[in-house]
Amino acid sequence: MIGELSETRYWMYLLLLPSLLLITAVVLYPTIYGIQMSFREMRLNRPDLGTGFVGLKHYQRMLNDPIFWLSLRNTAVWVTFAIILEFLIGLIAALALHRNLPGSRIFAVMILLPFFLPNVVAGHMWSLMLDPRLGVINDLLLKAGLIDSYRAWFADPATAMAAAILVEAWKSFPFFTLLILAGLKGIPTDLYKAASIDGAGPVAQLRLITLPMIKTIIAAAVILRVIGLVNSPDLLLVLTSGGPGRSTMVLSLFAFQTAYRDFNFGYASALSVVMFILLMIFAWIYIRLSRINQE
Amino acid sequence: MATLELQGIRKSFGALEVLSSVDLELEDGGFLVLLGPSGCGKSTLLSIIAGLEEASAGDILVGGRRVNEVFPKDRNIAMVFQSYALYPTMDVARNIGFGLEMRKVPGPERVEKVRAAADLLQIGHLLDRKPAQLSGGQRQRVAMGRAIVRDPDLFLFDEPLSNLDAKLRVQMRTEIKRLHDRLGTTVVYVTHDQVEAMTLGTKVAVMKEGVIQQLADPQTIYDRPANMFVAGFIGSPAMNFLDGTVETEGGPALVLTGDGQRVALDRAPAGQGARVIAGIRPEHFTLGEGSPVRLTGRIEVLEPTGPDTMVVLSVAGREITARLPPRIGLAPGAMIDLGVDRSAITFFNPETGTAL
Repeated sequence: MIGELSETRYWMYLLLLPSLLLITAVVLYPTIYGIQMSFREMRLNRPDLGTGFVGLKHYQRMLNDPIFWLSLRNTAVWVTFAIILEFLIGLIAALALHRNLPGSRIFAVMILLPFFLPNVVAGHMWSLMLDPRLGVINDLLLKAGLIDSYRAWFADPATAMAAAILVEAWKSFPFFTLLILAGLKGIPTDLYKAASIDGAGPVAQLRLITLPMIKTIIAAAVILRVIGLVNSPDLLLVLTSGGPGRSTMVLSLFAFQTAYRDFNFGYASALSVVMFILLMIFAWIYIRLSRINQE
Repeated sequence: MATLELQGIRKSFGALEVLSSVDLELEDGGFLVLLGPSGCGKSTLLSIIAGLEEASAGDILVGGRRVNEVFPKDRNIAMVFQSYALYPTMDVARNIGFGLEMRKVPGPERVEKVRAAADLLQIGHLLDRKPAQLSGGQRQRVAMGRAIVRDPDLFLFDEPLSNLDAKLRVQMRTEIKRLHDRLGTTVVYVTHDQVEAMTLGTKVAVMKEGVIQQLADPQTIYDRPANMFVAGFIGSPAMNFLDGTVETEGGPALVLTGDGQRVALDRAPAGQGARVIAGIRPEHFTLGEGSPVRLTGRIEVLEPTGPDTMVVLSVAGREITARLPPRIGLAPGAMIDLGVDRSAITFFNPETGTAL
């Protein structure tokens, strides 16, 4: 019976069935459930309101919610600057490690350490280091003469976002290092030999050979990292909880707090759906612009 | 165009010495082939000439100018790599013109030179393609175009034909020779293929373990190899070696070590009782009665190749190959009596391997 079935053209669909079921269970169902929840009332602290269908109510509220717009702007700042920093530091670290200088193996492991730390641990560690009274950073900066008194980095709206971005960059640049390093290993060394005979200096080699050769990897790394930055509230949750005021409130944190502090799951779902759509649009435009699927 | 001179070049990586005291001179417009098995240091030597590797000792002179401390880009050399090393993200025109671009040659002049080089190599129609869209032979031409467009003092080729299929390799070999005849640029060419070395070189340096074994024109290398390594490396099928002892009484002769067979010679290569190795190329055997120098052996295998038949014989416990005319009606197992062109026998000292 199975023998006969395996000769028909339905066989391949049968073989795909288990993975299809798995994807449905762990990806498709939660996504669709989340989307439909954004059209419903669901407030855990107001059971009297029920869980009925409310149409676009949450989305209409969002348009008039100044916190949403502020979070959106903060998200853009948070993601843009964090990505730029992470990419630049990651690129420099990868180029340095690729040179195979003595000790680069040890450095390769050490440089990855921040990435191994859970966000919560890294967050608490940096809170302590940047602490206004006990922090070692304040002490060092003071001794170096860069500041004249201890500063409360996360309590000042002018520095909170920048400080958080620096911590984030410290935490995640190894992701770029790792991927770029893998990309660099794939570039034939003959290209550099040919280029140095052709008269290309280090900067020209980086610009005309290295970067074009790892373009696809950079594009993939940026997309993955942007998704991570947009979706993960944990580091900001630990460092600032969105404060002071709402100066570091980003969309993911706003959605998280709406769900787990205000228990308004309907509105939180709507926020998540918007993030989901924004990320899809970003990825689509980005892939278009970087032309990575054309080669 | 320029002369090339290497004086006492050494190179070691840590304790490992890959080149020990290489000296050579190449005349202006000459074609030097560095030939040897892999790991003999020929590619390292080429990298040192290019300036991609630093010599541990010795001097490199291009056109009489010492270039040891000169950057690769300022040596006015061009190099063709085995992998072609084309820039995958640039089109053919930019690949060819890259060296000019880096040297700030103005756009219109660059376009003209690229066009001229491309036409010379018959790749003018490929200028806007990316390397990935080219065949192996086309890539090879682009790599050569990149080299000739700059009109360098010295061309360096690092096994440029190794990645091509056999037919294309022969075709490109001819093309490289034609190009050299036409441009007259001094060339250093690395290969492990002895046919390439013989056909292309005006001078061949046979290398082994970082030492030049013999530096001479191809015919000299073939006819009068300096030692057993060169003799065995050049020629296909390889030269045959037979151990024996010299006898001077009753006419000069060689008594083969395996079966005591006495081979008459016209003159003794060494004194009475000296042990020697006789090297005979496969084509120096003849059928028939003409030659006074004769060898007897048993036929093991017959390998007809069309124009010739390779006859593998067992002589004095050694396997030797003779290149004989086709359709000679022999069968494996038969005993055969072969003549040897005695002027073509090379004798070697069995201890040192050097030619006597």
